[in-house]
Amino acid sequence: MFLERLFSSGKKERDVTEKMRRHLELLCDVCSKFKTALENQDRNLMCDVIDLERQGDSIRRAVISLIYEGAFLPFLRPDLCKFVEVVDEVFDLLKDTATYCRSTELPEPLRDECVRVALLNFRMSEMLLSSFDAMLKNYDLREKALAIRIYEKKIDDMKFYIIDEAQKIPVSDFWSGKILSDLISGLTSISDVIEDASDHLQIINISMR
Amino acid sequence: MQVREFMNTRIESIDADRSVYDAVEIMVDRRFRSLAVTFSGKLSKTSFDGVVTARDIVFKVLAKGVNPKKVKVSEIASRPIICISQETSIQEAATLMEKSNIARLYVCDGDKVVGMISMLDIMAAELIVRARGSHVS
Repeated sequence: MFLERLFSSGKKERDVTEKMRRHLELLCDVCSKFKTALENQDRNLMCDVIDLERQGDSIRRAVISLIYEGAFLPFLRPDLCKFVEVVDEVFDLLKDTATYCRSTELPEPLRDECVRVALLNFRMSEMLLSSFDAMLKNYDLREKALAIRIYEKKIDDMKFYIIDEAQKIPVSDFWSGKILSDLISGLTSISDVIEDASDHLQIINISMR
Repeated sequence: MQVREFMNTRIESIDADRSVYDAVEIMVDRRFRSLAVTFSGKLSKTSFDGVVTARDIVFKVLAKGVNPKKVKVSEIASRPIICISQETSIQEAATLMEKSNIARLYVCDGDKVVGMISMLDIMAAELIVRARGSHVS
């Protein structure tokens, strides 16, 4: 009850929660676009991912400004800001990975598994949004947090397989090897940061009970 | 949810003529609970005829005090493998495992094995379906 009152009381609070939700919706949209772009090797769609990261940035700035203009009780502000910043880190990782994807072609033996990682990243972003909605309604986040941890573990297992396969691929020079390595590293780190965001959401939820 | 979303694509294989000891070595070294088995010497990465599991090795060889170096994988492997398509639902996969009394199913695209789904994957998928709020209670 306390949580519901807290999130729906004032106009500023409502503005913040609406913007935070918009931020997470945008994250789902970007993850989905990234997966489609990777699957179809669509460089133009990768540019959209890079552009949408800027939109994410502006929402983050708006949320933080609103919070420090007086939305929510002071003890809650750092946690809410931290959550928004962690979500923004996911946008940054997606942008960096999209940039690598634009400058190199994913080798055939890695493509299917990398697309599956991108799909699971998208599913994790959907689960994070669902978790946020559940928090606003004061529901228990346990099942959703567990689902996010399962996805993260799955991607972690896939990462080692991708790295094993990547080691068998000959590279023409240092930079092509580095870009491929950074691409794999970025793609498989997105889930870690989404998991951090989910953990943070749970901390916010618990701290307000 | 379809099995394609949660299957493992990392499948390790062994030739049927190799010893059980070799199989144990691969399984312990690379942390696999089962190996796909290729009979008739075809060493394709995607076409398998049987499977040997940790259960087979422990129950049929080690528990009986038989020397694993003297037993061939072909002698204890189960065949044929049971295949499902990538579009099979998690629920259907679980039912098939229960009916066949097996712990893993191979996911095939035509003749080609593209993945494997285990009981643990089924349990993980069920938790995700519940978290999405689309489970049937």
